[in-house]
Amino acid sequence: MMGSADGKTVGPSDCWEIIHIPEKPPICPDHQPTVDVLASAIDAKHANTIVRKLNHIAPLEGLRHVKRIKKTFLDGGKSQLFAILCMDPGSNAESNYIPEDVLGLMNTYQLSTFTTKVCKYAATTKEEWEEQCKLWPTSFHPPTFNIDGITGFSEADSLSVLKFMKLAVHMAKSGASLVNAAVIVDPISGETIASSCDEVLYPGALTKGSSKEPCCSKDHERTIQGDANEMEKDLISNETKQSYMEVSCLHPWGWLEQRLHFYLDSWHPLRHAAIVAIETSAARDRHLFPMSTRGADSVQEDQKVLTPTGSPLKRQKVKNDEISDCNMNGSRYDPTRPYLCTGYDIYFVWEPCAMCSMAIVHQRIRRVFYAFPNPNDGALGSVHRLQGERSLNHHYAVFRVMLPKEILH
Amino acid sequence: MGSFAEGAAPEAECISFMKLAVEQAKLALDSLEVPVGCVIAEDQNVISVGRNRTTETRNATRHAEMEAIDVLLDQWKKKGISKEEIASRFSKCTLYVTCEPCIMCAAALSIIGLKEVYYGCANDKFGGCGSILSLHTSNSGKLPSGGTSERKGFKCTGGIMATEAIDLLKSFYEQGNPNAPKPHRTVVPRV
Repeated sequence: MMGSADGKTVGPSDCWEIIHIPEKPPICPDHQPTVDVLASAIDAKHANTIVRKLNHIAPLEGLRHVKRIKKTFLDGGKSQLFAILCMDPGSNAESNYIPEDVLGLMNTYQLSTFTTKVCKYAATTKEEWEEQCKLWPTSFHPPTFNIDGITGFSEADSLSVLKFMKLAVHMAKSGASLVNAAVIVDPISGETIASSCDEVLYPGALTKGSSKEPCCSKDHERTIQGDANEMEKDLISNETKQSYMEVSCLHPWGWLEQRLHFYLDSWHPLRHAAIVAIETSAARDRHLFPMSTRGADSVQEDQKVLTPTGSPLKRQKVKNDEISDCNMNGSRYDPTRPYLCTGYDIYFVWEPCAMCSMAIVHQRIRRVFYAFPNPNDGALGSVHRLQGERSLNHHYAVFRVMLPKEILH
Repeated sequence: MGSFAEGAAPEAECISFMKLAVEQAKLALDSLEVPVGCVIAEDQNVISVGRNRTTETRNATRHAEMEAIDVLLDQWKKKGISKEEIASRFSKCTLYVTCEPCIMCAAALSIIGLKEVYYGCANDKFGGCGSILSLHTSNSGKLPSGGTSERKGFKCTGGIMATEAIDLLKSFYEQGNPNAPKPHRTVVPRV
């Protein structure tokens, strides 16, 4: 249903979008903190001079997002300008007087002042900004970090994001029942580093129609599929009871109640998709960059050998002398080897739980994409918000890829 | 989260288990790993041990707790113990770990339904048992809206042999983390 055979992204392309999930939950836009300022109506022909002088004699430190001038339209098509002179001395402990230069300006231009409210903090969302401007105009700069995508995705990037999300959805649906899936991707090379499904109840390799499946009768399969369809209706109608019971991140404590399907020994309460994907990527890393205790010379030999593996080299440039330093320390550092999942993206069908969200912090994932929120234990905005926990030693950017629910059918 | 106030002596039994956890942490340090170790006890017997193996495995989720849990699961499954029985045994187990479980491990301990945790030093960067999040309390966050199994809490007590735990971590960071991409500070040769 996604992406037609001729390669064009059709169908859902008009109903999906990528949304950044910020570090802080959005404040209710009409409850933003305000401060009092002293303002005055000003004559338009003096506006430039007055603002220039004000910026010099009474700069609004700490209120840089607030515009100095506000324009109000009056009846009959006329307009009136207002300017902020300074912080309101009556409500401000730090400057409880009007600066002398401002008093002078007020005299010169015969300004009569009034107190008004402006928003104390810069808006972090467009919604907050729109609400702020109802009080007094402010400027709005979407948050910028050094992570691609936060300020928007190029068309090529968007298509790439959608492609990998579709892969995750495909994997989530490929088993006997819906589970979560995690796909780790190197966005520079476009390579899939690891892709895994939940393995809490049975190994992910056990997919529908797989020859490994020893005793799955068609009847049994149909029952599970039927249940899943019912569950979906529940979710759509906002009754999440009993829905998607085998999606581990949605029901981390559900492993005990779950019926074991096959392979009695292969269940594991903690083998959520992300944990398995990280394990796979670590195994890949050990395979591509085997541990060695050789000296600095052979390290550089390794570099030559390993460069053609297609691993992006620009991640970490370490000079040769630094390599020697590391070797002095009794260990070996290969600069071509990616450090854990630094620079990699991960795609989830469902927002990961607290355990998985922290696991991908540890493994240094750079960007996280998920399609559906996890109201039970989601740790990227729903219940917790790890991307906003400043004490952590690593932070990823989080995006929700809005997909139609029908994609799970 | 409970904590042993200064002056109050933690029970000798608790200390003796924590000593074993510190031994595991030392093994980790000897292997150039972040020195965190743990033991799991059932009916006053150590039934599993674990130490940090993140460098060796290149898997940053292989914390001591995850290692010790996997050892147990493997053992029990090999003995043919049922899933229900395993869950019941986890609920009688106590973990002794040299450092406060991180958010990931605290969540994992809650998922398997461990009974109780004693830890050494607090983990003010990643701690999931009170420092950053409080995943050991059963009411941390919303209750699952579906299914019959609810979020599980566990009793948690910190400050057992914290000095020993911190000293080990200090000696590790003084020698430099060999796994880090680039030394963050001058590397002091290990004495």
